[in-house]
Amino acid sequence: MRSLLIGLLLIPLLTSSPVSAAPESWQSLSPPQQKALAPLKQQWDGLSEAQQHRLLKTAKRYTHLTHEQKQRFHERLTVWSKLTPEQREAAREKYRAFKKVPAEKREQVKQMVRQEQERKAQQAASGVPATPSAGQP
Amino acid sequence: MTNELDPGKIARLLTQGTRQMDTSTLSALADARQNALKRQSVRAPVVALSTGRWTHNLIPHSAQQWLVTGLLVAIFVVAAGYWHHSQEQQISELDVAILTDDLPIEVFVD
Repeated sequence: MRSLLIGLLLIPLLTSSPVSAAPESWQSLSPPQQKALAPLKQQWDGLSEAQQHRLLKTAKRYTHLTHEQKQRFHERLTVWSKLTPEQREAAREKYRAFKKVPAEKREQVKQMVRQEQERKAQQAASGVPATPSAGQP
Repeated sequence: MTNELDPGKIARLLTQGTRQMDTSTLSALADARQNALKRQSVRAPVVALSTGRWTHNLIPHSAQQWLVTGLLVAIFVVAAGYWHHSQEQQISELDVAILTDDLPIEVFVD
């Protein structure tokens, strides 16, 4: 039973992420990892070990993405990496909640967002400064 | 040979000797016996605790107990490892989904 208790105490150490591992330098990443995380090349070495670990896990899925998804992935990666862990966790929660919304409502939201983006793009093209849309503070 | 003492004779002599004792001596002996019994009954559980019998029972002794303990630890470690891995996978999937969704990231970020 004593060994059982010791074993239970060791579980968090055995299963936790390798926080104690040395941070990986950009040069030590494999070419596919560098390709997936290319937008972070300049800031990579300054990222925390935990964030590097998480991003490397995410980068494993990069090769399975479509061309369009890869573009979005790269466009958003820098913004994503600059968020705090709490902001990222909040975003995950929101995304989970959004996925539970009925497909019809989700599509309505997406349509609204697309219209808003188009409106902003048109305003930018015409040189008119962007104004908040109705319903926004 | 008539003076030879056998165990039966010794017992009879002791019984006779006891009967010849005065009342105060017998009473003192009875009190001493009762006190000794009381001390013994109080001391027993204290000795059991102070010798660490409780923790002693938690340590496996036989090879079979060690095997069961080892198996339980292994099951816990494997289960915890699997749980941790699946959590990591889920977070990784979510991150990629947010980064590639057709909705902009600002929708989900405060």
